[in-house]
Formats: sequence, C-alpha cells, structure tokens
Amino acid sequence: MGTDLKSRPAAFDRRLVYRPFLERLRPIASLRELDERDLIVPRGHDPCDERQPPIHVAFADAAELSPGTQMALVGGIGSGKTTELLLTQRVLSRHSDAVNVFVDLADYADLNELNTGAILATVGMRLFSRQKRGSKAPPEQVTSAHTKLCELALGKTTWVPIENWPGYDEGEERVRVDVPGLMRLRLPALRREVKDVKELLLTIASPLLASDAQITLLIDGLDRLIRGERFREYAGQDLQALKGTRMTVIVVAPLLLWYDKSRFLQDYFDVLKHIPAAAADPSDSAFLKQILERRGALELMESAEVTSIAKYSGGVLRDLLTLARSAAEYAYRDDQDRIGRKHVRAAIRQLGNRYLAGLGTAHRLHLRRLADDNEFRIGDPTALELLVNRQVLEYVRHGREFFAVHPALAKVLPKRP
Amino acid sequence: MIDFFATTPFRLVRSLAAAGQNTPSVYLLICEAAAMNAVRADIAAEIQVQLGFDPRSLAALEAQPERLEDAFRHETARPVVLLSLDLWLPKLIDSFDRNVVLLTEVGTVLLLASPGIAERILAVAPNLRNRLTDVFSIKPEEALGEGRA
Repeated sequence: MGTDLKSRPAAFDRRLVYRPFLERLRPIASLRELDERDLIVPRGHDPCDERQPPIHVAFADAAELSPGTQMALVGGIGSGKTTELLLTQRVLSRHSDAVNVFVDLADYADLNELNTGAILATVGMRLFSRQKRGSKAPPEQVTSAHTKLCELALGKTTWVPIENWPGYDEGEERVRVDVPGLMRLRLPALRREVKDVKELLLTIASPLLASDAQITLLIDGLDRLIRGERFREYAGQDLQALKGTRMTVIVVAPLLLWYDKSRFLQDYFDVLKHIPAAAADPSDSAFLKQILERRGALELMESAEVTSIAKYSGGVLRDLLTLARSAAEYAYRDDQDRIGRKHVRAAIRQLGNRYLAGLGTAHRLHLRRLADDNEFRIGDPTALELLVNRQVLEYVRHGREFFAVHPALAKVLPKRP
Repeated sequence: MIDFFATTPFRLVRSLAAAGQNTPSVYLLICEAAAMNAVRADIAAEIQVQLGFDPRSLAALEAQPERLEDAFRHETARPVVLLSLDLWLPKLIDSFDRNVVLLTEVGTVLLLASPGIAERILAVAPNLRNRLTDVFSIKPEEALGEGRA
C-alpha cells in the first residue's frame, strides 16, 4: 500500500523563518518596493534641528516654490542620504507636472575618471526617454538633439579620408597661447564640450520647460568620490551649467566638504542639509528601533536585542540593518528559531572588527583619546580620515555637534597599554 | 590580522541558500594564500550542489576597473560572482569603492582575498566596507574539522 504523501505533515524549513526578514533588511531597495512594503520610516524633523521640517520636505518645498534651486545633501556613508532623496522624489510626485529624474551616477558613468558633462548628458538622455514614453512623439529638433547628445556622450565611429585627418598636416603655423586674465574666477569657465552638452540638454528639455513642468534632478553617488576636489569639478561644470535653467538640482556631496575650511558647499549651494548619525538618545533610538520593527525584528528577537542593535549601530542606518542581518544569519547557522543575545553580540563584534581592520598606531591613538578623554581635533588629517571612514561618528544634539568613536568599534578597540 | 569569524564553503553557501536569491549580498572572505585555490574550488562545488548552478569565477586581473559593469552584470541563471583578489590592485579596489552600487545589483558577490589584501581593502575602501554583508575567515572543510551532516 502506497504512502499518502499529502497527509504527511510538512517538514519544518528554518530558511522560511529568516528569509522574509533578511529580504526586508536589504539596505537599498526601489522606492516602489519600500513603499509597497511600508518599510520607510521618515524622520519627523531635520536631524540637526528639531524645529525644522524633515530634509525631504524642505527639499521638496524649495523645488516646488523656487524652480532652479540647487541643493546639496551631505552625510557620512550609510547615513540615509539615498532614502532622503527617494522620499523627496515621492513628495515631489504629488504634482502631475512633476518630472523627477533620479540617477545614481555610477550607474551611467565611470566615477574613476573625472567625467564632467556626464551629469548633463545623463539627464538629457533620461528626459528624452521620458518624452518618448509619452503619447506624443518628441518634436524633430528634440530627437535630433538627443542623437547629437548620444554621439557626444557615448562617442561614434566615422570614416574620414586620411588627408582630412586633423593631425595629418604638420605645417601648422599657429599655436595656442593662453594669457591668464586679471580676474581669478570663483568657478572655472565652462569647458567647450560641457557647453555643447548643455545646449543639447536644453533643446531636449525645451518642450517640458515650455509647458512649465516642474523638473527636478536628484543625483546620487557623487559622495562616493570622497575627495572634495573631484566633487568641485562637477559642481563647477555640470551644476554650474544648470544654473538659470529652471531645472532644480538635489545632489549628495562628500562629507569631507562639510568640514572643509573653504566652505565651498555653504557658498555654492542655495540649500544645504546635513545628516549626522542618529544619536542613541531616547528620541533617536525610537526612530532606529522603529526602522527594525517595521522590518519585522520583533517577530524574531526580543525588544532588548532590538535596543542593543540600535545602540551599537551608532545611528548609522546601514550598520543598523547590517547588524540585524548578521545576527539573523548567526542564529540560523546556530540552528535557532530566534535571534538571541549571543547572536547580536557576535554581530556587534564582527562589525567592530571591520572598522578596526587596517587602523595604524596613529589612528588607534586618536580613537583612544576620543574615547577616554573626549579629545578630537577635526582639522587634523587623521581625524578627518577616521570621520570619513566612519570609525568616528558626528552627532548633533540641541544644535551642537560632537564626535564619538563608533560604538561597535569602541567595543573591540584595544585599551591603552 | 583581526580575528573574524571562521566559516567553511559549506556553511557559507548554506547561509546564502537561507537568504535566498532576492537578497543581494557582498561578502569579503579571508583566506590564506596557500589555500585559496582549494577554497575557491570548494565554494564553486558547494554552490553547484546547494544552489544548483555554477558561479561566475573571476580572477582580479579579469575585472577591469573601468568596465565593472561587464564583470558584475546581472545574470539570472548565475547570480553569484566569485572574485579572487590574489593581487593588490589599488585601481580596482578604488573602482569598487566608487562604483559599489554595481556590485550590489548583481546578486551575490564573494570577494576572496588573502589576509593582507583583505585588511587593505577594509582600510581604503569605506563605501565598499559599509556595504559588505559580512566578513569571514574561510577555510577548507577539513581545516575546521567539520563533516557535512
């Protein structure tokens, strides 16, 4: 007599306990996915000033009321900048004439090389594809501008007779001589190719601008340039070219520039916002805990473990998700159905070790001075390096900025001999 | 070198199976140079057995810094890339750091590196480090004295 397979109880599969939680912990998912799953926890106010509206609201208000405004968002790695951009995009979409272009520049251009003009070209191509998706075909001059833009941005292959090749005639009688001018410009003049791309972009955008559409460009990824001078090049060319076009720009910028003595960000941008790490005081840790709870943490761990993860994340949102994810994986590997204290501790130690790896004696000395004596000089290059690399976190409480060693790193940092 | 948790190819791939293919992840796996070939072969074999497909295996020199999108393009049939960082290539690591979103879009990326190279990566590539799912010291199965229960 054969066994009735259907009557057998289903075998317990522990993967199904953890898999949904791990999927919800993906640090960056699409806005639609985050929205559908109700996973976004917006901050209730500006993280630097409780009296001000949340950053995404401030950005959206400026974009709606003053088209052409240039705004920058600065914050450490994993502080939630992309989420703020996504939230801004969502708010802006409340108007039917909103045209929002969200790009992570690394998806389109090689950020290893200085690539000025890449922002303008990317935006031009995105605006064209948007018009192409519309019910009416784009006008001829727009299509033609797009073709030229693609040639300029992506290159083309043509065949020319050798006598027409520019380097062929060696008998040139004139050479270029640049005589420096009297005035030292704050921003360099636009390069010729950037000017060309700007003209093509404006032609492509012309139907939208003519209908008074609210165009907002949300540009992510430039913070990963880390060094300020490269960001300045982009600002001096691409962003400068967009001034006066009624296209609003919101761009993320490297944290290092926030502390730069030249005050470039403060001078260049119309609106500048900073996201510090969320301090582990009661109000902010409620925000951090809510992020985990929204992702189902309490189904798998006790409230004490959620609190511990929030505390040792240091308020770095990506570290918050990383700790929760690691703890879940360790519990799974331990054949446990729930995440226990030892799994959370193990995750904290692993994260701390990541931050500890590669630190030299000078770095460790700086960290110990900060941890033991609260001494940290932001002008020092080693201090800046520690800050950019997130071994040290910047916090703002009651309008005052202060610094602390990342709590997961503090847990594993060797004591002074 | 900092003491990261030890794992084996079997245990690593088991946790990849638990997370499922909808959860992109980037792991840094630290392995003694002498054991790298054996570990790489073990990981590939475990992926074949436990997940049912072959990973895309690359050596560091095959991943061009200016063409990361080729090395890390998404392939539905083979969503795991196993990259052996057997040489210190600062331009490549710099490129990973600046273009880290390309690594997080592929599915699962396993970066296999010697202790010295791993430490340098963690020190000089903060964007990459921040997006790592985890860092493990990985050893062949017999080194940790584990059977496959």
